[in-house]
Amino acid sequence: MNDIIPLVLDTLSSAALIFFAAVGLTLVFNVLRVLNVAHGSFYSIGAYVAASMCFFIASKHLNPYLSFLALLVSAVLVAVVLGPLIERTLIRWTYGKSEAVQILITFGLFLILEDAQRMVFGVQSFYEDTPMRLMGSTNIGGIVYLNYQLFLIAMAVVVLFGLRFLIKYSRLGRLVAAVVADREMAQSIGVDTGRIFVLAFSLGVFLAAFGGALAVPTSGVAPGLGADTMVLAFAVAAIGGLGQIEGAALAALIVALARVLAIYFEPSLDAVAPYAAMLVVLLVRPYGLFGTMTARRI
Amino acid sequence: MKFKTVLTALALAGCLGATMPASAQDKPASLGLGIFTFTSGPAAAYGMPGKNAADLMIDQINAAGGIGGVKIAPTYVDEAQGAQGVIAEYRRLAGEPNNQVMVAALSSANCLALAPLAEQLQVPTVGWNCDTHQLLQDGKNKYMFRPNGNTVPEFVAYAAYLLAKKPNVKTIAIINPDYAFGHDAATIFKAALHALKPDVQVVAELYPKLGSPNYQTEISRLTTARPDVVFSNLWGADLENFVRQAEPRGLFTSSQVILALGETILQRVPLPDGVIVGVLGDGWWMSPDAAANPETKKFVGAYKAKFGEYPVFPSIKMANTILYVKAAYESAMKKNGGKWPSRAELAEAMRGSTVTTLTGKTQTRPDGDGVVDQIVGVTVKSPDHSFPVIGDMVRYNGDALMPKEGQDPIAWISTLMPAFAASLPKPGSYK
Repeated sequence: MNDIIPLVLDTLSSAALIFFAAVGLTLVFNVLRVLNVAHGSFYSIGAYVAASMCFFIASKHLNPYLSFLALLVSAVLVAVVLGPLIERTLIRWTYGKSEAVQILITFGLFLILEDAQRMVFGVQSFYEDTPMRLMGSTNIGGIVYLNYQLFLIAMAVVVLFGLRFLIKYSRLGRLVAAVVADREMAQSIGVDTGRIFVLAFSLGVFLAAFGGALAVPTSGVAPGLGADTMVLAFAVAAIGGLGQIEGAALAALIVALARVLAIYFEPSLDAVAPYAAMLVVLLVRPYGLFGTMTARRI
Repeated sequence: MKFKTVLTALALAGCLGATMPASAQDKPASLGLGIFTFTSGPAAAYGMPGKNAADLMIDQINAAGGIGGVKIAPTYVDEAQGAQGVIAEYRRLAGEPNNQVMVAALSSANCLALAPLAEQLQVPTVGWNCDTHQLLQDGKNKYMFRPNGNTVPEFVAYAAYLLAKKPNVKTIAIINPDYAFGHDAATIFKAALHALKPDVQVVAELYPKLGSPNYQTEISRLTTARPDVVFSNLWGADLENFVRQAEPRGLFTSSQVILALGETILQRVPLPDGVIVGVLGDGWWMSPDAAANPETKKFVGAYKAKFGEYPVFPSIKMANTILYVKAAYESAMKKNGGKWPSRAELAEAMRGSTVTTLTGKTQTRPDGDGVVDQIVGVTVKSPDHSFPVIGDMVRYNGDALMPKEGQDPIAWISTLMPAFAASLPKPGSYK
């Protein structure tokens, strides 16, 4: 049993971070039908803004527990500022266009955002671990785990069920579901699809930025984080089935498990394990675990 | 047709003139110096202190009149752009007549890529970091020099220090970056331990991708292996991330940790006492030799004033390299009656030289490889600083830890005997 506990906990805590990186991407694809290559940049911008806010709190000797609030506020800030701005000025012109056009445009956006980050935040790494240190650690099965790792697992579960609740039971969720099911029909009965797209895209930006913010206390942030995140997010989205929220959660677990097993039993496969898992899944199910050729659901 | 031929010949002559070494010549208006380091990305945590030191040392040399009256004009190249970009930049700089010498590079991979180019273009190239022992192994290089240690003495030193400090060590685990530097270091460290204490077992070997932000699973794996010793040559942001994640999870109390590049983060991360750290050479700014050198004190004071922190060993390596270039020019000019030397004369002056640096001496062997001492110690609290410093130090003679020219390094390590370790100075002997 003691051998299983670290495998389970390491898989869950890794999966939580991977889930945050991918769920926004899959949500945006589901609603907007846009493959957003710039998604990883929102993750890293969220991380930079969260680190900056935590630095500010520390420099002003404010209550250190405010840094937890800073993680959330930074993600909201990024989503409110960048979400509507980018959706209205750039993303909306890609609706209905081919995937190649979408990828080229969002890749251009990714390059712009990466350089913008270098200009604003510099090229040095940022570290701010106040939330992690405030939460302390717990000995489980003879191994010390950070309570912050357990907190990440809980946050991923909250976000997963929160999204399900939002989509199924809120008015906004029903409008989103209507747009996903049939965009023209939704428009014909008076649904403001433009507004839905702005909200959905901003929610995707929020989820990415929140993931980046939550990663800061354990991982720091450095140039290049956005690109690494983007690649992993696409692998997870492909495994789960593009547009599937539960699929993203399950895929995050699969990718995390593949990586954890590699580190424990065959470390030389560490880097390729997530992509080997993706290859196997796509060979068996070309549209991902939850994906189908025609159905669109969330 | 004839006109075209003449034009072609002129163009070819121009190209050759730009890349061929100049013979002894008049002093240039300024000495161009291509300096290659990481100024962006996670590796900038190691590369920027090097750039800072180069800036400062060049300012100091220029303020004192330059080299033979010629001011140094550096051009910095960011190695984060990758090998292809680095090679292109090297070619471009080599083609500019006032660039007579290169300081390249930090990354072992880039050094290996540039070494053949240095020979092809006949540009004296000084590796300011370039740890890999493979760089000058064939002994055929005429223009590539490395006035620092290499991975062999650096990691044999850690094995010797560990066995002196913990003679009963039974199990070790390794976590190194997944590229040549990480794998070479592991090979050398394991070979040295195997030779000096054959019963030591390796219970885990992890090679996370360079630039990994998250090490939580690796830390769990290391903890479950319960090794007596965890050895790592992670560096830059990777090292900082690893330490920040491992320290609160108790890895530093459950195992004796060796951080081969740990000195670089002493001022940034609260490392606990007793961690074995070193400087991959003799570049510790607080070493007894450094403290006794007024030039070092002046450099350290100026560095602290300009950059807000004390130099780390990459800074010292770079500063020593600039001093090495200066010494080579002065030596070459002395040999040819004060004339400005050609590239070939400069390279000749480097070969076989002994140069006094900020922290000791560097000798250049006929194969272009440098011999420097190795300082290793453990982290201890300091009454003078808010961060830990290196205590219980030893200074190993660099020559004792290196194979002879042309000898296979791993084969040489396998010939070491426990008596070799016993013959070396003991921890705490360097005061």
